[in-house]
Amino acid sequence: MKNSIFHAVRGLREHTYLAVVGTGVIAAALVLLGGYAMIVTNLGAVVSGWKRDVHVSAYFVPGQSPEAQEAARAELALRPEVELVELVTSAEAQVWMLERVPEVQPIVEELGEGALPASLEVSLRAAYTSPVALDAFAESLREGGHFAEIDYGREWVERSSAFLHTLTILGVALGGMLVLAALFLVGNTINLVVYARRDELEILRLVGASDGYILAPFLVEGALQGLVGGGAALSLLYGVHALVVARLLGGVPLALGEGGLAFLSPVAAVGLAALGVSIGVAAAGFSVRRFLSRLA
Amino acid sequence: MIRLYHIVKSYGDRDALRDVSLHVEKGELVYVTGPSGAGKSTMLKLLYGAERPTSGRMLIAGVDVAKMSRGQLPALRRNLGVVFQDFKLLPHRSVAENVGIALEVIGAAPDSIRRRVPAVLNIVGLKGREDDKAGVLSGGEKQRVAIARAIVTDPAILLADEPTGNLDGAMAVEVMEILQAINLRGTTVVVATHDVGLMDRFPYRRLRFVDGRILGGGAQAGGRR
Repeated sequence: MKNSIFHAVRGLREHTYLAVVGTGVIAAALVLLGGYAMIVTNLGAVVSGWKRDVHVSAYFVPGQSPEAQEAARAELALRPEVELVELVTSAEAQVWMLERVPEVQPIVEELGEGALPASLEVSLRAAYTSPVALDAFAESLREGGHFAEIDYGREWVERSSAFLHTLTILGVALGGMLVLAALFLVGNTINLVVYARRDELEILRLVGASDGYILAPFLVEGALQGLVGGGAALSLLYGVHALVVARLLGGVPLALGEGGLAFLSPVAAVGLAALGVSIGVAAAGFSVRRFLSRLA
Repeated sequence: MIRLYHIVKSYGDRDALRDVSLHVEKGELVYVTGPSGAGKSTMLKLLYGAERPTSGRMLIAGVDVAKMSRGQLPALRRNLGVVFQDFKLLPHRSVAENVGIALEVIGAAPDSIRRRVPAVLNIVGLKGREDDKAGVLSGGEKQRVAIARAIVTDPAILLADEPTGNLDGAMAVEVMEILQAINLRGTTVVVATHDVGLMDRFPYRRLRFVDGRILGGGAQAGGRR
């Protein structure tokens, strides 16, 4: 291992230009991948926020007593889908409406007490916010006979769910394509390194070096390049993220949740660096093995 | 030490070696000679495993090289020293590094490499040149470095493919003297060459190849003339 590290470091020093190009290609690929991951993560957070806001309003049929309304609320609060349920009486609804839309006051006064129906305002747990689950929940409320109308913005939920689904598929597909493209680019760069060192490889083979002996320093080189490339990519991404947050998004209200524009999570950052190392090692292994297979 | 039985080597329709049988005894120095394209280099390539015979048996120190897998070849090569006409040195590495590479491959300790390399460079007349870059040496010096690399692991057999082909007369004699000295230490030496003058000056058994065959047969052991 010590010998492999020594030869790897010497190889990098002897072929500095190619080493820098290889590291740069890895870094560029990881910047693309990391940047894309950040976009997908933030968009996913936005859509998840939309899903968290899924809200069901169940309007009581007229004539329900306050006790019956409270009993319905208590019953609903016990259901596993329900995160929070609040009873809004007819009077509270009227106050709420007049506070927000004062223009409707004459109409409300003309209709008198009970112009607006009492309702239960239900927040659902995230796991129960799919269109199918919402439909099932609304249907179960209708069957109870307490409610005249159930309102939950089904179209909005369907659209946000479809968007999140598409985003996930695109994320996996484009992410996979970026990894393959990175492997291809890094592999071709390391092919150049191998070509530049073909005499050395041939001589090593002729004096009795095994494939493993020849391959090991290249794998170490690939790992080092991947690590440096990963570090450079993370630094660049972090810098761009800080710049965007500080300069561009400072005054722009974006629905990005409480944390604003999020950087990669620590796990994703470590994963990106590990991916850099993996790409470096895999590309080096593939290129050198392919070259060695042509040697006797 | 080296025994070939009915070796045939074909490249498509062309036979580079045809029914070649030969014996080289331990401690012998032999020439493989003949005109260009006669099969000299092909035979040496077969011996160090760069090529595989199309048919026939090929024993080196009792091991059938023809049956060796690709993964077994490194072990064979660690017991052979090979010198090439084009030296096959790394020009940007020092003389010591070029020679030491053969010891590194067999897993020699750094201390052992530091001791052994100067000793071998002394044998080939390059004492004190350890730190020179191989690329700045003359042709004769490069060939000496190549010989030093080939013998630094004390191989039982030294194969030299046209070792004097790129050298002038005086340099060629010097290199041949080194190969002779190595042979006198007990190493079996096979030299491929078409330099008749050199063979006359250093007379050893000749295996003369013409059109892929050995003229007069190569099976008889000759020893030193």
